[in-house]
Parts: sequence; structure tokens; C-alpha cells
Amino acid sequence: MNTRNLLSIVLWSLLYLALQVLLFRNLALFHYGFCFVYVAVILSLPFDVSVVTTLFMAFAAGFIVDIFYNTPGLHAAATVLVAYLRPFAIRLLMPQRGYEERNEPLLTDLGPAWFLSYVGLLVLLHHTVVFFIEAANWNLWLPTLGKIGLSTVFTTAVLTLLQVFRRN
Amino acid sequence: MDQLFAFIARQRAFIFFVGLEVLSLWLFFKYNNYPSAVYFNTANYYAGQLLGAQASATKYMNLGKVNAGLAEENARLHAQLAQVQNRQLSGLNYKADSVVAARFQTLVAKVINNSTNQFNNFITIDKGIADGVQPGMGVISATGVVGKVKVCSNHFSVLTSVLHAENMVSSKVQRSGEIASAKWNGLRPDEISLLYLSRYKSVKLGDTVVTSHLNSVFPGDVPVGYVRKLKPSADGAFWDITLRLATDFPNLSYVYVVDNRLKPEQDALETDAKK
Repeated sequence: MNTRNLLSIVLWSLLYLALQVLLFRNLALFHYGFCFVYVAVILSLPFDVSVVTTLFMAFAAGFIVDIFYNTPGLHAAATVLVAYLRPFAIRLLMPQRGYEERNEPLLTDLGPAWFLSYVGLLVLLHHTVVFFIEAANWNLWLPTLGKIGLSTVFTTAVLTLLQVFRRN
Repeated sequence: MDQLFAFIARQRAFIFFVGLEVLSLWLFFKYNNYPSAVYFNTANYYAGQLLGAQASATKYMNLGKVNAGLAEENARLHAQLAQVQNRQLSGLNYKADSVVAARFQTLVAKVINNSTNQFNNFITIDKGIADGVQPGMGVISATGVVGKVKVCSNHFSVLTSVLHAENMVSSKVQRSGEIASAKWNGLRPDEISLLYLSRYKSVKLGDTVVTSHLNSVFPGDVPVGYVRKLKPSADGAFWDITLRLATDFPNLSYVYVVDNRLKPEQDALETDAKK
């Protein structure tokens, strides 16, 4: 990890947060689909960033989003969980020959199948936590599941599209 | 003890994870319900600033639609209101002829040019003869009087705004019913003078001044302004009154052209009587 990498991580994180707060905050597909693009702050970190660092970044990113959504703690909780479980997902999805020299979760490096499973899995986890804690009511499980499903597709699609701008 | 430290070091990721989760969930389920919890949400100063800036940058995107809708609605309401008012004009046995009651028709127009800083100010709207606008018609906004149509082309009209020395609006103090005339003094685009109100008539600071029924241009009871300054005039016979204008001229966007369909009849009759 050199200075250039660090700068790149910081700038991309700020960009994802800005996109979330300024653009996607006001956007809803059919009242059910939301895009939490800021999860990419955690998902796009290189594999060798320590879990503790990831946890604190997750808390900070989630908390900033929470401030603008008026839900202090909600996104922080979901994102911290994603940060903690990310290494397990990376290990679970490890290709047969390992990650070799590859250190970043990039679509171009690891292929669409790996990328979609990685992003889809962790985004689904994040959205499940967010929407169920937010609903805080099991009677709403059907609309909540609808929100989780549509939003997971939406967020995954946006994160995949954003990979166009993230080449090595 | 060493074993404990070794355990913490080995499990520090898990410990931090649990700690941050507990903190987050506590914030969400407990802190958020405290009435004093204004820092971690959009009541927060910096978040509010950012959102305010965003709103001012994006509000123009649907402003057109919103305004057009409001203007349409208001046009309808003004027409209804004029009818109702004329029907209930007095407690006497007066009953307005339905043609008289419905004599004011309104037409929505968009302001496409507007001056407020000259001594005599004009407003251009995007409706003209083709839309039924004719010189002499009154123009009002959702909040108050605007001006009088001066010239019309097929698709545009130029108004002398109330901020024009030629324009005098027959007005009355709503509370007491005293009649006076409003005329711009040429100074500020948010103020107008109220002239010829006798020193012995009742008027107070904050009073609402509306158009009177003694004119054929504007419907009655359209707001002109609110009394902001009040003092006896130099000769002691009148009040020296300054009104805060009801219409926000610098930000005028949609106006209603008021067509008094009986005005030609009334004017002709009055002219005949003077012969």
C-alpha cells in the first residue's frame, strides 16, 4: 500500500459518499428500489486492508450517510457488519487457483461471475440488515422483502456500472 | 493476564466489530428517540447547509410544473371567490346579477421580462391579443396586485406594473373599509404609498390594504399591501402611509390577467352620463 493507493481510496470513498448523499438519496425506483452506492466504500477496498481499519471506515461511512437519512446508527450497523463479514466472503468465493497477485476486487481482473457474486452477496446482506432494522416490525416483512430484493438488484447494477471507471 | 492480552490481540477485529455494532444499534434505538438528538441528523448545521445548497441548485428543475399547477389552481379560485364575494356583498337584500357576479375572468400568464429598479417599471407576459388580453385589463398575482395591461401584441403584452408612476390603485383599508389610493413613490420595489386617507379615518400599523370595489380594473379585495409606516402628513389633513407590497415583484413568475367582461358596458354608461 503506497501513498498513491491511499489517495485513490480516499477520493473514491468521498465520491461514493457524495453520490449517495446528493444523488441517490432522492431516488427511488417504484417506491421500492433504493440504491446504497456508498457500500462500495467498503466493497472496493483492497484485500490486504486490515479488518479493524475496514470496520472503522465502515462505521464512519455508514454514520455519514445516517446523518443525511436521519437514521443515526442504522447504516453504520449494516455497514460494520458487511465490513466484518467481507473477509469471509472473499475466502468463500476464492477461485480454485487463489487470488494470485490480484489484490483488488475489480470486475476486469476477477471476471463478472466472481464480481457479481461478491457484490451481490454483501449488498444483499447489507440491505437485509438496513431494511429489517428500519422496519423494526415483522408485520411488514413482505414489503420489506420487496425492498430488499429490488434494492439489491439496483445497488449491484450501479456498482457494476461504476466498475467501468475503475480500471487498473 | 498475558493470555488475556494475547486473546484480545488475536480477537481485536471481533471485539471492535461487536463494540461498533452495539454503539450503532444503541444510537438507532435509544439515542435517536431523545428530544435533544439534533446533532446526528439533518437538523445538524453542516448537513442543513449542504442540503440547502443542493435544494437551491436543483429546485429549478420542477419549478415550472409546480408553479404552473399552482397558478392554474389560483386562477380557478379567484374566479370562484369573486363570484362568492359579489353574492354576499352585503347583509342587505342586495343580490348580484349572476352576470355581474361572474364578470371577472382570469387568465394565467408567465412573466418573461420584469424590471423593478427603474422609476417606471414594466412587465412583459407571454399572453397577448390571441389569448384575449386587451389593454386596460388588470393583472394580479397569487399574493396581490401587479399592474395594468398597457399594450398587447398577438402573443405578448406589456404591463405598467404597480411600480409605475402612472398607476394608481383604488384601495381600501380592509379592517375599517376606508377608501384611499395606492401609488408607488419610486423608491423601493417592496414599498408603495397610500394617499388621500383623511387624518380622521382609522388605520393602524399592520393593517391589510386591498383593492376597493370602486374600480373596474381589479376585482375587489385583492391584497395591495400591509401598513408598514404611518405618520400624519405635513399639513395635518391626511395620513402619510407606506405599505409593504403584497406582491414580491423581484421574484414575480406567474400572474393572472383579469378580464372584467362588463367593463366596456360600465365605461360606456359612465361616459354617456357625463355628456
